[in-house]
Amino acid sequence: MTASAMQERPEPGAAAIETQGLTKRFGERTAIDSVDLFVPRGCAFGFLGPNGAGKTTLIRTLLGLTTASSGTMNLLGRPVPARRVEALRRVGAIVEEPRFHMHLSGRENLRVVAAARGPEISSRIAPALARVGLTARGDDRVAKYSMGMRQRLGVARCLLADPQLLILDEPTNGLDPGGIQEFREMIRAMVEEEGRTVFISSHLLAEVEKTCDAAAIVDRGKVITQGPVAELAGGAAPSELILELDDPDRGLALLEHEQVVAVRRSDEGLRVVLAARDGDYGAASARLNAALVTAGIGVMRLEPVRHTLEQRFLEITTRLETADEEVAA
Amino acid sequence: MSAAIATQMIGADLLKLRKRRGTLAWSLLLVLVPLLLFFIVSAAQHSSNPAEHGPAGGINGYQDAVRILAVIFGPLAAILIGTDAGAGDAAAGVFRDLVVTGRSRLALFATRVPAAIALTWLVVLAGYAVATIGVYSLADGAPTPDAAAMLNGLGFTLLSTAVICAVAVGFSSLTASKPAALVVLIGWQLIASPILTDISSLGSSRQLVLREAIDHFSPVSFGGGRGPGGQSVTLSSTTALLVMAGWLAVFLTLGAWRTRTMDA
Repeated sequence: MTASAMQERPEPGAAAIETQGLTKRFGERTAIDSVDLFVPRGCAFGFLGPNGAGKTTLIRTLLGLTTASSGTMNLLGRPVPARRVEALRRVGAIVEEPRFHMHLSGRENLRVVAAARGPEISSRIAPALARVGLTARGDDRVAKYSMGMRQRLGVARCLLADPQLLILDEPTNGLDPGGIQEFREMIRAMVEEEGRTVFISSHLLAEVEKTCDAAAIVDRGKVITQGPVAELAGGAAPSELILELDDPDRGLALLEHEQVVAVRRSDEGLRVVLAARDGDYGAASARLNAALVTAGIGVMRLEPVRHTLEQRFLEITTRLETADEEVAA
Repeated sequence: MSAAIATQMIGADLLKLRKRRGTLAWSLLLVLVPLLLFFIVSAAQHSSNPAEHGPAGGINGYQDAVRILAVIFGPLAAILIGTDAGAGDAAAGVFRDLVVTGRSRLALFATRVPAAIALTWLVVLAGYAVATIGVYSLADGAPTPDAAAMLNGLGFTLLSTAVICAVAVGFSSLTASKPAALVVLIGWQLIASPILTDISSLGSSRQLVLREAIDHFSPVSFGGGRGPGGQSVTLSSTTALLVMAGWLAVFLTLGAWRTRTMDA
């Protein structure tokens, strides 16, 4: 799946979520601004943005918890709100933090939601509790649950729908590192083993990068870019290298006479921007390595620089801030 | 919505209500303690001075017990339970999770009403059982009400508490706040309604007070200059029925409207 493929918009129904020109205003304030979003089926999709970017508002609008001001949206190929009931039948969602009747047990809370979903759903309560590892604590009152257990119970509640699409709003909030790891594994299993689509809204860039196949970056109510995570991040940058040498000073002096565009010291070692004929940065790296070794300089590390989603995200949001400042000026 | 789903949803609403120990305990206390106190104090007075104080049970005891249960404390329990049913999901933050199931908001509202009435009736039935025991066991030879009178008393108690409970569900769904609904409804029931009905310059508009319409069907006299039906404002049965229907229609419609339109 490439960014361009995502923008081509495949057949209707191929998307788990699809919006066009979706806008939500609260009085004068525009919370989501003409959002075109395409979430393919069968993947973990990250919806990334800083706090206040409009992530939760978009989720609430998709689920019919609040009405859209304009635009169209489809869930699992069905237009909402026109066919909302049908669409939501196979959607599970946690909006903001998972909330429960604290005076009821985990199992009883699931009974309440199962009753609203339909008579046959009660039979899914025990498997759902087992799926999230809460069978033993299912009869305890939710007031006694830890945050991580509540998150898992929230997922169990979603699973009652046997969902094709799970919408999770900041699902790792309040989890400890162990809980985050468990949660990540559970989401990956849902996507890879069970074929579900998981839409995760988060401001935790590293988490999205580790968990999701594709993502959209949203800021100030607008989707700035969307596509596979690797493409969004920019992947490896073969023209840039990190070099760790046993004698950095000599290395620096030598590299200034080699075919490099720039070289500078960094925390990780020397950061080199290569010059290469025909874009063959592999060959250029090999020549550079040979030159260093021939000069008797030990090369402990030679690695292309990898851009992270975080860098890309910061680049985008910084660019937006700069544009705003220019407009203001 | 099919009958199976409706039954399941009412069962779920009932589960939420009956597991709320605080509300259930207070409702039972409100219903049982005044009745028990009434019978204990009356029996003690009668045993210490039978010439001046009649038996705690018998017809007089029955009339006082119905008044305590159906007019004062039963409605308070109905308000406690009704406001919990109306605002419980919103207060716990789970209303949105129920909306996300795709079930219509109207259905989510509608099932609260029978669940709340069912629990209210369970509570007042416990009170009525205590009243019945007291009326017959503490009669001390005085005449006792017949089965028809007892059934009339029960019917009136159930009517009174069901109507007030349904209004409470509607009103608390409208406010989406249990504390606010509790204060307003208890204030209205215990303070504003009696004051309004005592202001004679309000004339026939006093017929619109819900308490007066309900009291019209009371099988026991309220004494103290009140009318033959037990109420201080005279109104026909048709008017009383229309007033009750009006209150129910207004508050259930407002509650349903708010549940349908609120941001979840």
